[in-house]
Amino acid sequence: MRDVAIIGCGMTKFGRLEGKGLMDLLAEASLRAIDDAGAGDRDFDAVYVANFAAGELTRQTAIASALVDQLSLLPAAADRVENGPASGGSAVKMGLLAVASGAYDLVLVAGGEKMTHVNTNIITDIVATLSQPDVEYVHGVTLPSLAAMFTRLYMQHHGVTEKHLAMVAAKNHANALKNPYAHLQKAVTIEGIMNSVMIADPLRLYHCCPISDGAAAVVLCPADVAKKYSDAPVRIAGFGQATDTHAVHEREDPTVLKAVQLASKQAFEMAGLRPSDIDVAELHDAFAILEIAQSEDAGFFRKGEGAKALEEGKTAIDGELPINPSGGLKARGHPIGATGVAQIIELAWQLRGEAKERQVSGAKRAYCCNFGGFGNNVVTHILERMD
Amino acid sequence: MQERMTGFRCKGCSRLHYPRHARCLSCKGTDFEEVELGNECKLLTYTKLYALPEGIEMSPLLLGIVEFPNGVRALGQLTGDDIKVGLRLRPRWGKLRTLGEKDIYGFRFEQ
Repeated sequence: MRDVAIIGCGMTKFGRLEGKGLMDLLAEASLRAIDDAGAGDRDFDAVYVANFAAGELTRQTAIASALVDQLSLLPAAADRVENGPASGGSAVKMGLLAVASGAYDLVLVAGGEKMTHVNTNIITDIVATLSQPDVEYVHGVTLPSLAAMFTRLYMQHHGVTEKHLAMVAAKNHANALKNPYAHLQKAVTIEGIMNSVMIADPLRLYHCCPISDGAAAVVLCPADVAKKYSDAPVRIAGFGQATDTHAVHEREDPTVLKAVQLASKQAFEMAGLRPSDIDVAELHDAFAILEIAQSEDAGFFRKGEGAKALEEGKTAIDGELPINPSGGLKARGHPIGATGVAQIIELAWQLRGEAKERQVSGAKRAYCCNFGGFGNNVVTHILERMD
Repeated sequence: MQERMTGFRCKGCSRLHYPRHARCLSCKGTDFEEVELGNECKLLTYTKLYALPEGIEMSPLLLGIVEFPNGVRALGQLTGDDIKVGLRLRPRWGKLRTLGEKDIYGFRFEQ
């Protein structure tokens, strides 16, 4: 397989973006990424578009075909990639494999979602359709309810408290204040979080990510020609992907995110690195507990010690292992199809030294976890600065 | 109406499943027999859901994961007050939600 590099990054601001449709957002992010790669006059071989539910949310399907037409990238190959909340990670992986195999030399990966125009209870239901239809969805399960039941188990088994959940949210909100692309840019206090409205007991509003609009895109090419495009290309050193039982209750230990463990192990093995080699990470904190649980199951901290690491400030921007300097899903926002691509972009900016006020000093290697379903389809990547 | 809540035992290796799978999660066998899960189960975790999806009327919606004595776990709606982990519950058939115009029935867990 050939080494693959990220040579261009672009995204829209995330948030409630009235007046902009899904295709506007995807085109805006894509053009920024193409411009960043200096590839405005180049023909692309393929375009992968990550999206969760355009048919249900915006009544548009076949959006990859629509995007290549918008961008005048015809006759490039075009595919939509859907893997629930990990659609973005999956699309990056598809682009990576396509270039690594030698099939394609220049690939655009874009991810986007337009959500905020739809009523919350309808979105909640559409997202819930990713759960097991016969034994989860029919009962009225939602993603926050699965996260709440997971949180309660984690509190019982691993001593995580409501205050720990609030600390994750407060940290990520503080980071997002330094990220101009973030959806939620306001300082929140631990007390404010702990008094916010209950969504799914014990999860409160500020323990959960918002519903957002937005898009993000990257350009990939073989690493050996990357410097023709970019002064600071970033190599994709490893990836992993693993699945777990569809119904959460069928897992041997429901507090273990087995797919995160397996996908992380694969990525580290491919990159020839260990968790201690990583300088910065983006984790899928759709719910505060997930940042703590993923930080353990990815191998950064021992099981049950993620909350302690958080308390000690190890996951802050100036800590031993900064997690979610972008603000994470919690505060950057979560336009579902865009998220996995936006995580990769934040890490590429960190490795390029372009993250400004939220820059993790000297970051050379980065890890990313994009968590599909409720942990039943997880995609990981490891990125490395090319010096 | 269904009288008893059932799971699926693999005829090859005896592993119990809930829900049914096309192939056994342990031995990939394709022959299953339907078996009763029992009349009593224990609550492992739960939530009171206030942000409801379209099609659910009960607010808050109580959801939990229970475990039967044979080790099979199931997720479902709960009824009753003073919900806590470890509670003994019984499966009981009832209306769960509406999907479009259609009423959906299944097992809930009650005290």
